[in-house]
Amino acid sequence: MLAYTVKRLLQGAATVWFIATATFVAMHSVPGDPLANQRATSEEIRRNLEERYGLDRPVIEQYGIFLGSMLRGDFGISFTQENRRVNDIIRENFPVSATLGILAVTFAALGGILWGALTALYRNRLPDLVITFLVILGISVPSFVVAALGQLALVNLNAAVGEPLLPVAGWGTLRHMIVPSLVLGLGTMAYLTRLMRSSMLEIADADFIRTARAKGLPPTRIFLKHQLRNAILPVVTVLGPAIAAITTGGFVVELVFAIPGLGRYFVTAVQQLDYTVIMGTTVFYGAFLVVMVIAVDLLYGWIDPRVRLE
Amino acid sequence: MTASPTPAAGRPLLDVADLHVEFDTHGGVVKAVRGVSFSVQAGRTLAIVGESGCGKSVSVLSVMGLVPTPPGRITRGAARLGDVDILRRKIVDGHDVRGSRIAMIFQDPMSALNPTMRVGDQIAETLQVHRGLSRADAFRRAVEVLAQTHIPDAEARAKQYPFTFSGGMLQRAMIAMAIACEPEVLIADEPTTALDVTIQAQILDLLQELQRRTGMAIVLITHDLGVVARMADDVSVMYAGEIVESGSADDVFYRSAHPYTLGLRAAMPSQATTKAAGLQPIEGTPPDLFDPPPGCAYVARCPHAMHLCRPHRPEPFQVDPAHHARCWLHHPGAPAGRDGVYRGARA
Repeated sequence: MLAYTVKRLLQGAATVWFIATATFVAMHSVPGDPLANQRATSEEIRRNLEERYGLDRPVIEQYGIFLGSMLRGDFGISFTQENRRVNDIIRENFPVSATLGILAVTFAALGGILWGALTALYRNRLPDLVITFLVILGISVPSFVVAALGQLALVNLNAAVGEPLLPVAGWGTLRHMIVPSLVLGLGTMAYLTRLMRSSMLEIADADFIRTARAKGLPPTRIFLKHQLRNAILPVVTVLGPAIAAITTGGFVVELVFAIPGLGRYFVTAVQQLDYTVIMGTTVFYGAFLVVMVIAVDLLYGWIDPRVRLE
Repeated sequence: MTASPTPAAGRPLLDVADLHVEFDTHGGVVKAVRGVSFSVQAGRTLAIVGESGCGKSVSVLSVMGLVPTPPGRITRGAARLGDVDILRRKIVDGHDVRGSRIAMIFQDPMSALNPTMRVGDQIAETLQVHRGLSRADAFRRAVEVLAQTHIPDAEARAKQYPFTFSGGMLQRAMIAMAIACEPEVLIADEPTTALDVTIQAQILDLLQELQRRTGMAIVLITHDLGVVARMADDVSVMYAGEIVESGSADDVFYRSAHPYTLGLRAAMPSQATTKAAGLQPIEGTPPDLFDPPPGCAYVARCPHAMHLCRPHRPEPFQVDPAHHARCWLHHPGAPAGRDGVYRGARA
């Protein structure tokens, strides 16, 4: 198990290196000047700035410097925000995005498992049909539409109650977090619901469920200990990619709900060609996703003993 | 392990009478079981024999309450375990009779165990549910039961998952699971079909050993006449959803009173190596159970069919006191021929 974990971590490190290199190459191939928005008014100022950010050196040398400082965990200083270190930007804003993402993933996973199990239990009856319809809606409607609708619903709700029940935007308390994480997790939850439903139905016909019934076990025990645990396996498998989908999808939701997350920097940095912020946020997100996927794989091994030995 | 209290001799432990089971399918209603009756006494083994699709598995699954409804439907009949009709009522004295008084093992042990649960826990589970043992006590008992099925190093094995077991070991674990609560009746649905031949013999020996020790009754479903000869005290031969012949193993094997039983025997491989001793297949196919024939189900394949066989369904005729056959040849008016069909000691 330890050897497996170490092996996966090494593979993950290689992946992060690849992400960093690919981003670096792509970033430097994009036409445009990172200093164009700056006060590079005269040739002298431009030279000073280029020297400060190391842009006067050959690209390959810049790459070496970048890799070196990345290994030390230093992503440098932002091009566009005076004297602001990329590490500080990540440190200040990532916890907000992470909280939102974790809440959304939790909501998506629990909701997906619950609704999926429920639809399987009520197969082809009214609850199944209603939930399946909503699921298709949840998969097809993009998150920015859901976010706007969610906000509208909140405004109407607060107006109806007469006092601000849940804040429409902003960040800070748990009450701020509820609606954005629901909106962010909705699409994934819908997808997981479908997956869970088909998985539950497949397991319901399995021989070992018949064995459990032949043993005279109570239906709740069969459901929880035999059916659910085996049906969850495919859901856990896609949790890794689901986390990726949710964290990248988070930018839009952060924007709509005015949440001070990292996603904003991620997007504006690309627009402004803020080299250090692009590299910092991309590598950081890449590393985060790699760690999440590894964590999910380890979790999978914990749920399914057959995977453990590999 | 103490033997279950044996009821008065001669009184059947499990008594199934006039069982009818149907299935709704896209093609119509399949009448899978059409009036099956059988019974088994403590300490004895009843084998139910027949080809695939003849309704033998459905019969015992109905008794266990494992026929999915819908599409399945038990339209008539009773299955008494002691004084209780377990077709109508699975819960007796607050406990499910399944797994405690009547247990079942299945054909494919590879898929019949939960892959994500330790083998010991799967055995302990029945003890927790039916005997109210604590988790730890149930697990200790599960290890003992596993050891009784001759799994080496049962203590360590109980903590492992099914995927680390071989097929034969899994079937032993399955048997341990079934006998954990010392059931009065064990139903074994083709318990050795998925195993290779040497393992088959070991599993059958194990079942007999456990039966001798506990006095449980065994209902053995199989299409393998070799297994029947080795295990059975009594035999019921099923064809197209009904029992066509029943009696002691000797009766059915050596004094076969139904043409279908004779056909099955002829289709059995023998040790003779001459070409003449080759297999004699039964020509034709079983009837369509969407629309079962009004008369004898075997008429289309029977070499001895008579005019009345097609429109009139034969009732089980008594050949000898405990030997019955559902065939018009046993009617007093039937011609006595050199057809090899046993006509009873009186004939």
